[in-house]
Amino acid sequence: MGSFIHLVQNENMKIYRRARTWIMLSILAIVNILMPLLFHLADGGGNISLWESVLQTGAFTFFLCTIFSVVVASDSVAGEFSWGTIKLLLIRPWSRSKILLSKYIAVVLFSLLCTVLLIVVSYGVSAIFFSGGAGGSLMGERIGPRHYFLIMLCDYVDLFMTVALAFMLSAVFRASGLAIGLSLFIMFAKGIFNMLFNPERYSWAKFLPFMHMDLSQYLASSVGPGGVTLGFSILILAIYYVLFLVIAWTVFGKRDVAA
Amino acid sequence: MMGICKANMLQWGQTWAEGVIEMQQEPVVRLEGVTKKVSSKTLVEDVTLDIPPGQVFGFLGPNGAGKTTTIRMMVGLTKITKGDIKICGYSIKDHFEQAIVHVGAIVENPEMYKFLTGYENLRHFARMMSGITEERIQEVVQLVGLSNRIQDPVRTYSLGMRQRLGVAQAILHRPKLLILDEPTNGLDPQGIRELRDYLRRLCREEGTTVFVSSHLLSEMELMCDAVAIIQNGRLIDVRTLAGVEGAQETTVETAFALDRPEQAQELLGGGTIRDGLLIVRLDRNGIADTNARLVQSGFKVYGIQKITRSLEDQFLEMTGSDQIG
Repeated sequence: MGSFIHLVQNENMKIYRRARTWIMLSILAIVNILMPLLFHLADGGGNISLWESVLQTGAFTFFLCTIFSVVVASDSVAGEFSWGTIKLLLIRPWSRSKILLSKYIAVVLFSLLCTVLLIVVSYGVSAIFFSGGAGGSLMGERIGPRHYFLIMLCDYVDLFMTVALAFMLSAVFRASGLAIGLSLFIMFAKGIFNMLFNPERYSWAKFLPFMHMDLSQYLASSVGPGGVTLGFSILILAIYYVLFLVIAWTVFGKRDVAA
Repeated sequence: MMGICKANMLQWGQTWAEGVIEMQQEPVVRLEGVTKKVSSKTLVEDVTLDIPPGQVFGFLGPNGAGKTTTIRMMVGLTKITKGDIKICGYSIKDHFEQAIVHVGAIVENPEMYKFLTGYENLRHFARMMSGITEERIQEVVQLVGLSNRIQDPVRTYSLGMRQRLGVAQAILHRPKLLILDEPTNGLDPQGIRELRDYLRRLCREEGTTVFVSSHLLSEMELMCDAVAIIQNGRLIDVRTLAGVEGAQETTVETAFALDRPEQAQELLGGGTIRDGLLIVRLDRNGIADTNARLVQSGFKVYGIQKITRSLEDQFLEMTGSDQIG
């Protein structure tokens, strides 16, 4: 039956043999080169430290990272349907769940690649323009590698949830446009949702996933929205994550592939 | 299980009794009361059909008759509402992976990854099966005649070339059953001819059973050993086609072109006259005897012709002019 690694290899080939992927990665790299450069030009008196530059760059460019990962995730299943290749893909001696899993793994690998690219480029370029040493402080914590790592981790959790949502929408609706649109809408409208459904006012609102996707709030305070804890937030995220994947796998496994 | 299937392949050349398919072997595909319902509409109703090994088997029906739906069920793209389909003895429902290994297929158009080259497309599908070597890929490329263009992106391919690539991906793993849905769609006459010759060769040389659907009757007549005819989701007939040895025992309408047909009719004591031709129902020997009698009685026989109704005539006769339901 061949090996499962081959399936992931196939999915990777379908991601990286497209010009689009390389355009997205190039844009990500270029923006991460330009941002520290702009900081350098704007910074007259040498007030910005290395880690400040890296952190500020990341805060801006991580949006791109999420958007590109969402684009790849949304196209992963929906693309096969719009190309019609799904019919050739599903008539091989592999169960549908394994094929979907290989797709999901390839998507997560792409999102990791984007994140690593962002970190490496923004750090590398910042190191050219700014001297080392941690300086300044943010929300009472000194900005340094440890703080940066935690911020990146929180950002990645946010991305990971958004990508899982996009992947599910892609598998359910089989239309990449809808999946991209909906997941990016949720990514940007999170703040508005959080305002509308304030957990201080509605107690049920603390069970919504949007409240918890940005875990970086716990870096400043140990109490989250509506007085919940970090553990609670992680639990809610985990439940929604499993829910997204269960829906994706169930729908993809059961539904007829018709014209 | 694979052993059974192989054994069947070896003795593929068998005789068919006229009109009725005699089952002496384990069929490659067995459809058992297959029904497909989508909400309240019945797309395919209670289709029971055995496809014997080593044949080019046609699946004929007007547009919307349920051909593609049936094929989708055969390859597991669509769930079967009722009944079961067995391929080489394995149920496509319960043992999907064991059943589908024996199948190569193109469902509808041969859609490929356009941003990949032809070779990368084949590599992609080869990775999903075990035991497909680099040599096998090259061999298949050669076979479908794409050697010169295989390293080009598929988006630069013509429809005919994509059709060839489609066949290539379907036969990579030497399947026992090759399913082609409307394979001649969009092909030029040259391409159709090549495909036809190729399928016949595959059937003859590798013992592959080919299941091919079409609404083109003339195509089927040239390509298939037997056809199943489907209309409005129901199987209405299964029959063997021309070239069957059993045919010589049957009587066919025979037209005699001769001078004085009315007197010839009197002499023979039967037959009808149509367009100045005398038409009599005769078997093989009957034709020779009748001819001798006519000549001995001084008639001038200019020509003798069997009136074989084409599949098209039979098809229209059977399906009538029903609306797509």
